[in-house]
Amino acid sequence: MRPYLSPPLAVITMIGVLIAGSYAVAVLEEIAGTLVSRRPLRLTYVFWAPLATAALLLTQGRTSTERPDAQAWALAPALLAGLAAVGLAVIPIDQNTSVADPAAGFVLYSAAISYVMVAVYLHGWSANSTLPLIGAYRFIAQAFAFQIPFLLVLLAPALPAESLAISDIVEAQESLWNVVRQPLGLPIFLVVSAAATFSLPLDFPDAADLAGGTSSEVSASHRLAWRGARAGLLVMVAAMGASAFLGGWQGPWLPGWLWVILKTLLLLVILIASSHTFARLRIERFVVLAWVVLLPLSLVNIFFAGALLL
Amino acid sequence: MSTSAPVDVLFVLFAAGAIATAYLVFRTDSMVRAAYWLLASFVGVGAILVLLKAEFVGLVLMLMMAGEMTIMAFVMVMFMMNPAGLNPMLMVHQHKTAIAAGVTSFLVLAGAALLTDFPNAPATQTSRATEELGTELLGESMLVFETAGAALLGTMVGAVAVASRRGRYGDAEEGSIEPPLQPDEEWAQASAHRTEEDEHEPSVHGGHS
Repeated sequence: MRPYLSPPLAVITMIGVLIAGSYAVAVLEEIAGTLVSRRPLRLTYVFWAPLATAALLLTQGRTSTERPDAQAWALAPALLAGLAAVGLAVIPIDQNTSVADPAAGFVLYSAAISYVMVAVYLHGWSANSTLPLIGAYRFIAQAFAFQIPFLLVLLAPALPAESLAISDIVEAQESLWNVVRQPLGLPIFLVVSAAATFSLPLDFPDAADLAGGTSSEVSASHRLAWRGARAGLLVMVAAMGASAFLGGWQGPWLPGWLWVILKTLLLLVILIASSHTFARLRIERFVVLAWVVLLPLSLVNIFFAGALLL
Repeated sequence: MSTSAPVDVLFVLFAAGAIATAYLVFRTDSMVRAAYWLLASFVGVGAILVLLKAEFVGLVLMLMMAGEMTIMAFVMVMFMMNPAGLNPMLMVHQHKTAIAAGVTSFLVLAGAALLTDFPNAPATQTSRATEELGTELLGESMLVFETAGAALLGTMVGAVAVASRRGRYGDAEEGSIEPPLQPDEEWAQASAHRTEEDEHEPSVHGGHS
């Protein structure tokens, strides 16, 4: 059994990681937006803008719809943030440091990803309003399309490790990172990650063509919680990508935890930069792409990962 | 059999939660809420399996149920003429039969649970449940599981082929072509025949070609 952080320390670490991660995502979004729109980049503005937005949202009045399912509506952002925490908890922080690293860590992470569908669906359905509802039903189609490639592409790194524990998967990359050993893995993972975190160009449930989709009827602290949870989700998939494909804590000179943070930030930069550069697909195109291209490719990826071990 | 106090407390919490949420499935008037209360109940059962050191099975149960309950809610909404699942509807029918079936199955299951002589084999802290399960699936029982797996995969491929937009009956967006009434009749003719009929009695068929 691996050494865990003590329970109080683990809780503080998780809260810290979620808040710092959401802030980092917001700052990166701000920088990407500034660069894409060719405005001059002012660093003080970039670092203060997310805090100003958060303060504004906290002081806004809350709006409501006619007879929403209030309990499920309030539950949805909390569930999404909780799922981000569950997914982040299984990812080791350093060689011998982790919040929770169960033998079936991969399964726990996959379960967290599949409950994202429940959170997004409830968020759109509970509002009792047209556009959020369309967003909710869109995400069901999206979720079933991305989930199987998502699980298969994350299962491939477990083959050389011969374990479903994330720390074993990181340790198995000591000689060669999975990004080289399984060249198809990281590209597929990044595409399905954008779908799993419903961020641009695959932000179908919360898309601009639905005036914000599932979040079009929420304001104030609810909107802040939803945006924070979405950012946490982005950190969760980036951290998994860093551990499963980029060797996690492994790297020269720097301490392991710093490598984890740097690699996670690298994947966050790639995801956020692509969300500001690629055009948004139609959901029909994405669903076909996922079932017809990504699913067979992720099967090919698993096949080669297995063949290399024989 | 000795367990630690926190595990006992967690077991009672999850068991009570699973029963309470299972009860709420029948007390709500919304299909979506009923599906997700059932999901909450399954999560409680999955957590109990994790407490029993069957980590993998418990987590897979939670993982699968998220998708299955969503599909259930989704398909119920599609088949009931209830816009988007938002209208309240009665979730309980045939009260007397349902009560009789519920009480009988509870008594049978409770009797089986109380009367069976279960083996006393406590799981150890270091038991490798995932590995043992994998050995079972790909060792002794491989033929059974692989046969079931291939059959299920075939069913899924068949279902996708039938339901696909570019299915064997043509493009879904163009509307399906009805099969001919006579065995030797060709498909296109049958379709043309129907269209002619529709033109004569538009109020009966109400369709358009």
